[in-house]
Amino acid sequence: MCKIGKFFLKLLGILFAANAALFVVFFFDLDGKLLFNVVEPFLKKHYDNMERKDVLQEAYDMDKFPKYKY
Amino acid sequence: MAKNIKKALKDFWYGKPHTAEEGGRRLGELYEDKTGLLKHREWRGFKDTMYYMYNIWGYNYVHMVTDILKYSKNPIDFFKGTWRYRWMGQTYLPVIHWFERGLQGMRGEALAASAWHYRAMVSASIHQICNFFNADTRLHGGKETEAYKHSFYANETTCGTLFYPWKDAGYQYIPMEMIPYFVTCHVNSHTVLNYIDAVQSIGLPGDPCPMCQAESGLFVLDDVPDSAPFIITCNEACDASVSTHTLQDWFADKPLFALPLPMQFDDPLVKKYCMNEIEECWKFIEEQTGVPFDWECMKKYLERQNKLQRDEWEKWEVASKTDYYPINGVAQALFRIYSTQYGIQGTFWEEASEKVKKIMYKCVEKKINPFPQTRHRVIAWSCAPLYYSNWCTWAYNCWGLNVIINMDSLMFDMEIRTDSYEHMLEDVAQYHMWAPMRRMAVGGMHHIFELWEYMEKFNCDMVAMYDQLQCKGMQGVHGLFEDEFRKRNIKAFWMPHALPDCRTVSRAEIRRQINDYMTTVMHEEPLDPSLLDFDDSMTW
Repeated sequence: MCKIGKFFLKLLGILFAANAALFVVFFFDLDGKLLFNVVEPFLKKHYDNMERKDVLQEAYDMDKFPKYKY
Repeated sequence: MAKNIKKALKDFWYGKPHTAEEGGRRLGELYEDKTGLLKHREWRGFKDTMYYMYNIWGYNYVHMVTDILKYSKNPIDFFKGTWRYRWMGQTYLPVIHWFERGLQGMRGEALAASAWHYRAMVSASIHQICNFFNADTRLHGGKETEAYKHSFYANETTCGTLFYPWKDAGYQYIPMEMIPYFVTCHVNSHTVLNYIDAVQSIGLPGDPCPMCQAESGLFVLDDVPDSAPFIITCNEACDASVSTHTLQDWFADKPLFALPLPMQFDDPLVKKYCMNEIEECWKFIEEQTGVPFDWECMKKYLERQNKLQRDEWEKWEVASKTDYYPINGVAQALFRIYSTQYGIQGTFWEEASEKVKKIMYKCVEKKINPFPQTRHRVIAWSCAPLYYSNWCTWAYNCWGLNVIINMDSLMFDMEIRTDSYEHMLEDVAQYHMWAPMRRMAVGGMHHIFELWEYMEKFNCDMVAMYDQLQCKGMQGVHGLFEDEFRKRNIKAFWMPHALPDCRTVSRAEIRRQINDYMTTVMHEEPLDPSLLDFDDSMTW
């Protein structure tokens, strides 16, 4: 078999394997399971521990800006 | 044996049949307990499973990335924003699962057409998210970038239509709460609970509308990007929102213009007052941006918006008079409320609408009924549970209840005239006053009871009546509806919920209420008994 033929066969094989792997992820909802069980808890922990500004310490400057009456 | 092989081959090619009598696909058995994750996705038949995998699941994963590249000035900002904002990180990731919940059990044209509505909503969301992050001073070391100087905030129920005149000058309006609050509730209902709890932790009582609570909670947790130099707020539909905007005024600390939504909008004097206020708002924007109102620009975008409205009327004509409308209840409601509220900010709505029309006309020409198991044509009225907007998909799969149309779709049922400034202003004021939750929920008796006209127009034989337990306005007319349902002999079931807060009324409780009605009042048997009772208390 010529080199080009072998190359295309290999390419087809890779495409088929990639599709099969993708189908497994899709069909068994592996993306959902990863996001729900690993990624979201990790992110939640990060957001829970994040330092946040205490907005209640800010003054309510009611007269800082004009009344915008036209 | 041969019979079994033949049936297995048939199921492989076409998918299992819907009803229990025919063998049934038993969709409820696909769920893992509590999480709502799938043991495995449904096999919809070869063609539809492949369509779902490549044209919906794969296509949308890829386009979630390409949309970021398209709308973001620097894609790194997108990741920085994801790391900084809870509503972003927790919400963006399960988007494809949101498709799954809305499209479960759909086949053929219903699957394809409904997915285009979802695709448009995702694209519009990424557009907004990128607008937030392109301009956010927090992600740019406190620097006020050009994007910041060309953005302005507006409350999510202040329609995008009002801000077209500055679009071609490069100014982008950003609805302040549409992504951090509204979209998150649909995609991942866990996120919003943090904001509700935050505002209650500073002393707000738990009984006002949880939408108002969540919107102010975003500010309490300091989770609103600093993406615009000034703000336009409104009272949304209720008094609780007025408190929200007091808190927003305090915490945002920016020039702010309050543009109220009048309650009694049928009064011509109120309308005149509203027109004046809109003009004042436009003057405020002119003053803040230094750019004058552009009539030609306004006209251009209004004409595109009118075209989208005419497309919708075309679709409603098919939905009301035939069985060939291919959009399911949740895709119809969310697409419509989102597109009418955000307005023409890109081409995503128009592209999706064209694709859907093409599929719809194929159904009409070939007489394809995309929802062949329909037992009742349902109209859904009042405000829907955001954490369970996909109840319609469940109701069709379990009971054959096909939600044809809903209140959210019908609110902005009008074109805006562009033949003169005066006509335009009059119509824009009408459009503004017909805001979500205002026109037919807390906008007066006549509009609340437009239900009867639309029920007839869309040829519906049943009402799904949403019962938002913390909406004082709609709670006040509960009894009137009960009386009218009896008087008119209308089949109607109530669906209690608490808008974004899935802790008050669970999804399982909503299903139980519908199951009770269908068995004890309608004396019907479920199409798919596996969907009657399952635990999805922890789901997104």
